[in-house]
Amino acid sequence: MIEEALDYIAEVKDAVKRFLAPEGGAITALDGISLEIQQSQFVTLLGPSGCGKTTLLRAISGFEELDSGEVRIGGELVTGVPPYRRPVNTVFQNYALFPHLSVSGNIGYGLEVAGVPRKERDRRVGEALERVGLAGFDLRKPAQLSGGQQQRVALARAIINQPKLLLLDEPLSALDRNLRQSMQLELKSLQHDLGICFLFVTHDQEEALTMSDQVIVLNQGQIEQIGPPEAHYHQPATRFVAEFIGDGTLFSGEIQNTIENPILVTKDGLSIAVGVGPKVGDKATLIIRPEQLNIAPENPDDSMVILDAVLEQSVFQGATRRYVCQLANGTSISAAPTESGDQAFSRVKPGEPVRLAYRRSAPHVIIET
Amino acid sequence: MKHPWLKRLLSVHGLLFLFFVYAPIIIVVVYSFNSHPVNMMVWKDFTLDWYFSIFGFPTKLTEQTLYVESTDQLVSALKNSLLVAASTTTFATIVGTTTALAVYRHHFRLKPFYQGLLYMPMVMPDIVLGIALLVFFVNFSIKLGLMSIMIGHCTFLISYVFVVVSARLAGMDDTLEQASADLGAKPWTTFRRVTLPQILPGIVGGALLAFIISMDDLVITYFIAGVDSTTLPVFIYGMLRRGVKPEINAIATLMLAFSFVIASLGLYFRKRS
Repeated sequence: MIEEALDYIAEVKDAVKRFLAPEGGAITALDGISLEIQQSQFVTLLGPSGCGKTTLLRAISGFEELDSGEVRIGGELVTGVPPYRRPVNTVFQNYALFPHLSVSGNIGYGLEVAGVPRKERDRRVGEALERVGLAGFDLRKPAQLSGGQQQRVALARAIINQPKLLLLDEPLSALDRNLRQSMQLELKSLQHDLGICFLFVTHDQEEALTMSDQVIVLNQGQIEQIGPPEAHYHQPATRFVAEFIGDGTLFSGEIQNTIENPILVTKDGLSIAVGVGPKVGDKATLIIRPEQLNIAPENPDDSMVILDAVLEQSVFQGATRRYVCQLANGTSISAAPTESGDQAFSRVKPGEPVRLAYRRSAPHVIIET
Repeated sequence: MKHPWLKRLLSVHGLLFLFFVYAPIIIVVVYSFNSHPVNMMVWKDFTLDWYFSIFGFPTKLTEQTLYVESTDQLVSALKNSLLVAASTTTFATIVGTTTALAVYRHHFRLKPFYQGLLYMPMVMPDIVLGIALLVFFVNFSIKLGLMSIMIGHCTFLISYVFVVVSARLAGMDDTLEQASADLGAKPWTTFRRVTLPQILPGIVGGALLAFIISMDDLVITYFIAGVDSTTLPVFIYGMLRRGVKPEINAIATLMLAFSFVIASLGLYFRKRS
């Protein structure tokens, strides 16, 4: 057990945290969360606002004490340990740069309070500036920097103490789209170079999928799913994860027919053939992603499932085009076919019937327990 | 604001307002250089004699035209004022700032009520506070003198510092303190290196405000000053009771210049932050 514990850089066990709501009553921010974070990984806490992800981050950094449960960092219990004694550093959402200190004053702050001699400090601040691409900016004040540059200063300031774990609280949310995308890749390669563990909080699923080794999806203070981004996308564990990550149309119902040839029957009477796996009588949810849908070929084989629909509109999205269709029962379903499939779609005009097809085994089925 | 005449009307309005505010003050300054010894409102010649007489230099003025019997009285009143203002400002700044920090950091029952209590001395009529302090000092047999003036001034100066520093704290980004702690700074280091530099303009502003108010206060001081301990405003008030004479213009002009310097300092510090 002890050996195992040492492999984890951070562990959270049965964390519970409640806040008093302003209108009375309590809000449960963390509802019995347990997780382990491995060395040198890029881990993302993903969830909608109010899901408890920031509270969990603050419980690790020490700004929030848990009502019950425990946090271990590097194997050591940190209950009651103040933030300034915890071997973690944080990149704050609003950067929280000290406005009265210069860029190098900000970055060197952690070393200065730790009593690192000036010469050594200057050298390491120079290195950190170099690393985040801000060499020559050392004497500027934070107010004289752009949002992206401030972001880099905040990052350099947080990594200079060489923390065991770097916490990032939605640090990219204030940047515009292009800058955010390039920062995502930079953060990923920075994490790879430094080899320290990043715990990144975001509500942006795209951000989580781009950067992470592991994604932890939180909802209403509980963990929905832990795993690599691919798993969240292709095999979502719950309906919430399926809806939150990626696009797609969900069909919920009961499995009927036979084990070899299961059919999902929805409440409003739609019957859809699904891949082998679920048992007859299971309550299940089928997720059809847009890229799994195409126009049915002339002679579909047995592995294809056909859905009759009417094309509503086609939406240009740059690399692909999205075709929004409506099924007989009124459900809206989108297709984002590949280039060859796109040609078949382009012959259909809005308002005309269209036969959609997908490989039976492609869509994931969530079996509800 | 499309019509040019509307714009012009606004300029005239602005100028009239400034004239309304500053005309009396300018007149005081101008007549402080008037050499007419009896009727100060009649312009005679330019002179610096009134200033000389205040500072005790020999002048051509005759004894009858002077009101300050001796410069010593004036100087001692000024000394008292400076002593009271300096010591009360120091005390009020420390207590006001620490109170503001405590109220900012902690949440407790009836917090708005206590904040209200802290604002109260600012809005309380001076005369009420003056009488209340006098009754208090007499009841507790505290000798009226410089000490009673200092205690009296502190009661309301703390409020002013509290309000100014609180406003500064409210505008401070509280994640700055968290960032400091996150980077390994102990609470005292965080205060010294982050919080204090952030609220320093507020503290300096509050201190300057307290200093001017203390130097300027007449009503409250009038009640609680002893026989021998006169401050400058009380002394000037005493002079006035024997008629407005040119020397008072000179004293007023000097006080004005002094206030101007203090206010400029305040603006300078605010701008630097």
